[in-house]
Amino acid sequence: MYRVDYFAGVINTLVMIFVNIAIWKAIYEADDNLGGVQLKVVMTYIALAFLMQCIFVMEDYFIESKVTSGLISSDLLKPISFRAYVFSYNVGSSVFRVLMQLLPTLVISIFLFKLLPPFSTEMGILFFFSAVLGYLVLYCLNFIVWMSSFWFYYTFSLVTIKDALVMVLSGALIPLWFLPQWLFNFVKLTPFESIFFTPISIYLGQVPAADIKTAIIKQVAWIVVLALAGHLLWNAAKHKLVLQGG
Amino acid sequence: MEHKKFSKLELLKLSLKYSKLNLKCTLEYKFDRFFTTLAVFVREMVSIAVMYLILTRVISIKGWQMNEMFFLYSFLFLSYCIFIFLFTGIRDFDNMVYTGELDRYLIRPLGLLYQVISARVDYCATIGHGAVGVILFLSTYNSVGIDWNFRNIVYYILALLGGVIIQTSLFMVSSCFSFWAVRTTNLRNLIFFNSRRFAGYPISFYPGIVQKMLIFAVPFAFVSYFPSEYFLHKPDLSVFWHGCLYLTPVVGIIMFTLVYIFWRLGLKSYSSSGNSMY
Amino acid sequence: MSLIEVRDLTKDYRLNVKKRGLLGAVQSLLVPEYKLKRAVDNINFSIEKGEMVGFIGPNGAGKSTTVKMLTGILSPTSGSIMMGGLSPHKDRKKNASRIGAVFGQRTQLWWDLPVADTYDLLRYIYRIPEKKFEQNMEMFNDLLGIQEFMSQPVRQLSLGQRMRADIAAALLHDPEIVFFDEPTIGLDVVAKEKIREFIKKINAEKNTTMLFTTHDMLDIEKTCKRMIIIDQGTIIYNGTVEQIKERYGRSRTLVAEFAQKLDRIDLPAGVELIDQKDNKKYLKFNRDEIQVSGLIAELTSKYNILDLTVTEPEVEAIIREIYEGGIDFDKGISGDSKKSLSEQYCVPC
Ligand SMILES: Nc1ncnc2c1ncn2[C@@H]1O[C@H](COP(=O)(O)OP(=O)(O)OP(=O)(O)O)[C@@H](O)[C@H]1O
Ligand SMILES: [Mg+2]
Repeated sequence: MYRVDYFAGVINTLVMIFVNIAIWKAIYEADDNLGGVQLKVVMTYIALAFLMQCIFVMEDYFIESKVTSGLISSDLLKPISFRAYVFSYNVGSSVFRVLMQLLPTLVISIFLFKLLPPFSTEMGILFFFSAVLGYLVLYCLNFIVWMSSFWFYYTFSLVTIKDALVMVLSGALIPLWFLPQWLFNFVKLTPFESIFFTPISIYLGQVPAADIKTAIIKQVAWIVVLALAGHLLWNAAKHKLVLQGG
Repeated sequence: MEHKKFSKLELLKLSLKYSKLNLKCTLEYKFDRFFTTLAVFVREMVSIAVMYLILTRVISIKGWQMNEMFFLYSFLFLSYCIFIFLFTGIRDFDNMVYTGELDRYLIRPLGLLYQVISARVDYCATIGHGAVGVILFLSTYNSVGIDWNFRNIVYYILALLGGVIIQTSLFMVSSCFSFWAVRTTNLRNLIFFNSRRFAGYPISFYPGIVQKMLIFAVPFAFVSYFPSEYFLHKPDLSVFWHGCLYLTPVVGIIMFTLVYIFWRLGLKSYSSSGNSMY
Repeated sequence: MSLIEVRDLTKDYRLNVKKRGLLGAVQSLLVPEYKLKRAVDNINFSIEKGEMVGFIGPNGAGKSTTVKMLTGILSPTSGSIMMGGLSPHKDRKKNASRIGAVFGQRTQLWWDLPVADTYDLLRYIYRIPEKKFEQNMEMFNDLLGIQEFMSQPVRQLSLGQRMRADIAAALLHDPEIVFFDEPTIGLDVVAKEKIREFIKKINAEKNTTMLFTTHDMLDIEKTCKRMIIIDQGTIIYNGTVEQIKERYGRSRTLVAEFAQKLDRIDLPAGVELIDQKDNKKYLKFNRDEIQVSGLIAELTSKYNILDLTVTEPEVEAIIREIYEGGIDFDKGISGDSKKSLSEQYCVPC
């Protein structure tokens, strides 16, 4: 049954790319150089965004289920650190997705959608690096949301609202350069930009070479800040667990 | 005890009773359910927000303006909201089979489908989707240039109900598979919610194959596109047969009839095999 | 004609033969391959109005399957069930208002709501007249004490409380026939006793016909006069509880406490020493072959004995022996025990 789900995931990603590209084609019918960006670039952006999304999937209710079932107490006693366990679990399943979902989808999309190659080889390498950082930003952000399960019984609402914000603000569905200026300025102050938009912009050569360093430093900075916040929450959660006896 | 058939009125009263109990359940966890509703609302607003962001930038796509697109989208949300309000049980059917709730319904002196439908109401989803639909409708019904005369109002209501039946039938197909202990929920959600998302845009935006899919396979075109074209008469309608504008209720009824036959078949199979996979 | 008539009832389940791999999954979806599993194999029995019958058998014997067919949830593969002129499956809705069912493993109560809400709903579903509803509520409260947790959400009830509430829910509409599938599962001794008392009382007062499955022989001994034993889908015993003791409980154990510890004693042929503790010796014999009085006389003449007790085997032990295949029914009573018993028995209790 699992295998069917992976297979369905491949189809899903392809269809999403296909349909979103169709919408963008319709948009470009009236103006073939919208805001100085060519249709081809937008098409590649959309495809990359959905391809990345199919790996940036994390187990949002893993910690919640541990907390509600009370298994967390016994997990904490195990010699391996619980946080390392959760992290490796998610990374492991993402790596698995790279093999099972991303590779087939990528091969098919290259043929189907005529994706642009990276702007340059160098940008290609930097894209890969930046995408890994984007994954970590999302992971740290998610971890903070997951931690809330120590205080709230159900985290469905928070997780869903988080997902919604990530979808709109991180450039997963729409290239951020099409956003109104005020909103774009605001997004630049948040970690969302670092998740999908920064890596894809680097791939497309939309970030001037001089600014790439800043963009990547910004990603790292967000990882540090979010990880720190997650760490503090984790300590508070452990404290709470001890007080209540699990 | 002598068994008399239940009258329509009695069944209606009983349904109300069920909805009241469901409301009571929802209110048991007021705080949590409030945030769930909010989350559903926010989640559904994502596609609206993306549409809004694109259209503030490009003003119109293929001659469709923002208020017209939102009007089209409102059909999807309003009909889904009614569907959930009336037929939550059909959405959750596989769960009823899995937990054995279905067996419990079978030892009661009431129809099975009636009980499946009445037994559950997901108020969170109803309000979450409904709120998006109402906001979209209220902000556009006046500005898209519709003369809300009697004829149009009747058309609107019939189209909306047709849309409800179409979505009910789509969900019910997947429910029927549960009778054979085949789980199709994931696949169903994938097909249903993606198609629904596409149907948020006029189908003329898509290549022919997607259009055909949305007309013949997962007929969401009759839920949103054709009903809104009836009111808006955009030039892109010219490639489709004009009769499609009036077909929504017909498509709904045909689909439901076919699915109901499938359902009877499934029930027959269930009573000979039980909930074996689970 | 009895109230419930079961004739040549058979139930086959179809088991999907799952193939491995993706290709296999597609293949079994398109051309499913089945294996038949016979859960109930050609059984016959009848139950009179007002009778209380225990329905027992080892795990997987086909009890729940039979109860599901009797309640109309499943259709028989072949054979027939007649319940006062109705077929539970074909006339499901009509029949449903006359029956009640308790499935101990599941609940029919609304999980997040107080019990009272489910009762109120059932009142509408079964169209119970107000007066009868109140009378029954009062009676159930007296016997089961449901009032004390009436306003608590079901999820907060203990298993025993929940079971009591569930039983009351199944009996609220005064069904003519009630099926219990393991109503005492997981309950403590006191709770079990309470439920047995209740069931007996309802049976006596309302003349309700009852069939219940359980793994606790005490349930059967205390409530039912008759029991049906099913194993691997076939009925292997159908008769009174007394009769089974009479027929198969032939072994007796004599516990003798001697004045001093003896290393060995002389025993007549047919008597077996099965255990010893301190000065006590446990002697097993067949009451058909050896007379107790004779054995006692013999022992007392030879040894100095302080105390003597004779014990019969518990029904539980007999049943265990039956399940394990120690008692062979076909040779036990007559060559055709299955049929003859179900026909010979027709006295309502
Ligand atoms: N839905 C089903 N599909 C396939 N086989 C089934 C199904 N339900 C039961 N069986 C099989 O039928 C046989 C009888 O099962 P049943 O549940 O009737 O036993 P039971 O006597 O109630 O056992 P227990 O005491 O464990 O409750 C078992 O071998 C079981 O595996
Ligand atoms: Mg059973």
